[in-house]
Amino acid sequence: MASFPPTSPSNRVRIVVATSVMLTFISYWRAAAIVLNDLASSAFYACGIAEQAVGKSAPWFIVGVMLFSFAVRAVYVESCSMFVRGGVYRVVKEALGGTLAKLSVSALMFDYILTGPISGVSAGQYIVGLFNETLVTADTHGWIPRAVHIMFHGVTPHLNVNLTSVVFALAVTIYYWWENTKGIQESSEKALRVMQITTVMVVILLGWSALTLFKSGYNPVPLPRPENLHFTKESLGFLRYSFPEQSLTHMFGLLGILIAFGHSVLAMSGEESLAQVNRELAHPKLKNLKKAAIVIAIYSFIFTGLSALLSVMLIPDAVRVPVYKDNLISGLAMYMWGPLILRLVFRAFVVVVGFLILSGAVNTAIIGSNGVLNRVSEDGVLADWFRFPHRKYGTSSRIINLVVGLQILTILASRGDVYVLGEAYAFGVIWSFTFNSLSMLVLRFKYKGERGWKVPPNVTIAGTEIPIGLLSVFFVLLATALVNLATKSVATVAGVSFSVVFFIIFTVSEHANRKKYALAKQQMKDHFQLLQSDTVQRSTLGIRPGNVLVPVRDYNTLNHLKWVLEHTNTRDQDVVVMTARITQFGAAAYDLSTEQVFSDYEQTLFTRAVSVAESFGKTISLLVVPAKDPWSAVAQTAHNLESSRVVAGLSSKMISTEQAFLLGSAWEAIPEPKQQFVLQIVEPNGVVGTFRIGPHTPTMKNEDVVLLHRLWLNVTREPGLEKIHHHDILTEALTRFAHDYGARDHENIVKELRRHRDDDGSNPVRRIADQIQTVQPNPTRPEREKDGKDDGGGDKRPSVSNRPDSK
Amino acid sequence: MGHILVIILARFLEGMFVIGSIGSFVVLVLSGIEDLETLFGKEEEQHS
Repeated sequence: MASFPPTSPSNRVRIVVATSVMLTFISYWRAAAIVLNDLASSAFYACGIAEQAVGKSAPWFIVGVMLFSFAVRAVYVESCSMFVRGGVYRVVKEALGGTLAKLSVSALMFDYILTGPISGVSAGQYIVGLFNETLVTADTHGWIPRAVHIMFHGVTPHLNVNLTSVVFALAVTIYYWWENTKGIQESSEKALRVMQITTVMVVILLGWSALTLFKSGYNPVPLPRPENLHFTKESLGFLRYSFPEQSLTHMFGLLGILIAFGHSVLAMSGEESLAQVNRELAHPKLKNLKKAAIVIAIYSFIFTGLSALLSVMLIPDAVRVPVYKDNLISGLAMYMWGPLILRLVFRAFVVVVGFLILSGAVNTAIIGSNGVLNRVSEDGVLADWFRFPHRKYGTSSRIINLVVGLQILTILASRGDVYVLGEAYAFGVIWSFTFNSLSMLVLRFKYKGERGWKVPPNVTIAGTEIPIGLLSVFFVLLATALVNLATKSVATVAGVSFSVVFFIIFTVSEHANRKKYALAKQQMKDHFQLLQSDTVQRSTLGIRPGNVLVPVRDYNTLNHLKWVLEHTNTRDQDVVVMTARITQFGAAAYDLSTEQVFSDYEQTLFTRAVSVAESFGKTISLLVVPAKDPWSAVAQTAHNLESSRVVAGLSSKMISTEQAFLLGSAWEAIPEPKQQFVLQIVEPNGVVGTFRIGPHTPTMKNEDVVLLHRLWLNVTREPGLEKIHHHDILTEALTRFAHDYGARDHENIVKELRRHRDDDGSNPVRRIADQIQTVQPNPTRPEREKDGKDDGGGDKRPSVSNRPDSK
Repeated sequence: MGHILVIILARFLEGMFVIGSIGSFVVLVLSGIEDLETLFGKEEEQHS
């Protein structure tokens, strides 16, 4: 038993450290939606950037990149089949060691840091583009007052596109900074909704474009041949200094194709997210992963690839790059066949969808960067200072501040230029893919054991398996990454500088932390004995069923633990003190070692908890669980440990009923069979709120009991119903309610219940009770409807009831 | 000398890109067929 005082021969306190992150599993559709929120957002800017770099044949390269992304996806599927908690850092560390892992994670950080600014600025470009176009339309109809014209020196009023986009991107970034500091819950439901709305837009876009092609014809898209490539000085980067007297790209035809491919590679940014969501996929994991991967690949091919082709086919050359380069899909909407008003409405819809998906990508970038930096911090390569939880919200706010600070600097430095951001962004994308594929290649020779799945084809020659497919993908990625180094000067300078700076920070931090960890490890060994366990089991802790689970987070607020110890006889009932180590999106993708889960902070927290237990002279068990969501962690731990009570402190962010609702929701997500438990929330003033989690006999108000009794009295006067019981009345009432709620009178019931909620909850009942008292029972009561049955009523709210209990 | 090095490097990258692209196309076809079977294939019946 992990307890104080210890029952083990040593004097150390035993702590069970669970190393599996407690997750709620999701379907492959939801997983695909999460990844597509990142991957599909690039459709809004990738083709515009590529066309500026390589010319009018850019859409073919975008299509090529999207086809190649099917192969890159296969590499990620293989890596996820080997490491459930895959991801670049984990895979590279396993294959190539810590140094290259730090380098690869630096490139990944560059990718994540830039995802936010490019998405925010791009969303701003779409919004300002629509705003300015609306002003132009209004001006042509003479709706703009002369005074406004004078303010703009006689020209049509307009906003500075780049400047306003910068302001918009800053506003969105700061909004999500605050949301992440508070600790917003990531929702696959929200991602699914965004993708559903995006799908509606894509279907309209493709259908309307097909009609336009039929009605108005199209501009041909030049084939991807060297003679059709038109590079600018910027898009040749350092190469423009190599052969100034002749065209290098025409001299090497294929090199031109490779350079153009490199300029289009950012269209497949977001594949890394597949490895991040893999852990959360429901059983059968590999099959669902493959399903999610193919859905993602097909969807992004159709959306990003086809919209790129259509933009060149339908938008005239005269306006495509000069006017719509940074909001191509808006341009596409404006050049559809049909009346202007419809096109404007569709453009507004495109902007709304763009705002949803691109601002979502800003959030994903903050969450992803936070997760990766948390992970490397847990591994000792970033100072623990960064991981210190926010005093009020418990989030790793210092890391969030660092990430958002870097993003704000990037937004300001870009001055709203999507092209510059896109060029730089491609650096992180291509190098993280290259590191990942190289590592998978090395692992083919390093670990020859069974894998869940392998990238085909593989040929065995003289007993040695040659991974032809994997090698091919690596060749394309490496060739592209190397050529990008030469052609994307801004990306190379910015990306290499950023990666080197991060690499140095990681290396210096790691060196400094080694000494500190050696000391801390010794102290930990002196005081705590860490027992690693993959899952949370009652037997591992050595505790009895019906125990009390006490979640703790802040070592300054342990009042609820004191209250439990005051009111519990630990000889009869075990007390388990647990803390959830929150692993963000990204961090959950990696293996967690005991030291990662049990850090300095947990050590201090448990030292305080043990001191409290010592002061009461009572025994407690200690447990650390990694989790993505604290409510799921508490609900699943209570379920696994067969706890009868969970006693928590009052959150600084919400009231007790909200806490109970969230825990109830987490309990509902646990698969059957599961048992109910009681949640008690101890407020700082000593008031204890008691809630039952799960289906249970509700606590009835006195008015309800009176009403039930009066009904019973009336019913028993009916001939033949003298022996009826109170519960028969309740059964009949509930059956009727379920029937009415399920079909006949749903709206009215919901309206009535809302009204009851808004009142103090007692008056309507009293009114009904009075009515029952005055109305004589009808001797010819209508026969009970035979088809009435409970269809579930559709109420998916968690089963929670409140019983305030002042102590 | 510098030009020769650039030419050699460029040819090397071109070769790698061509070989890789052909192989990646094979990956796309083989894994695509397999994945489409996974996506649209009949679920195995559960025998109790």
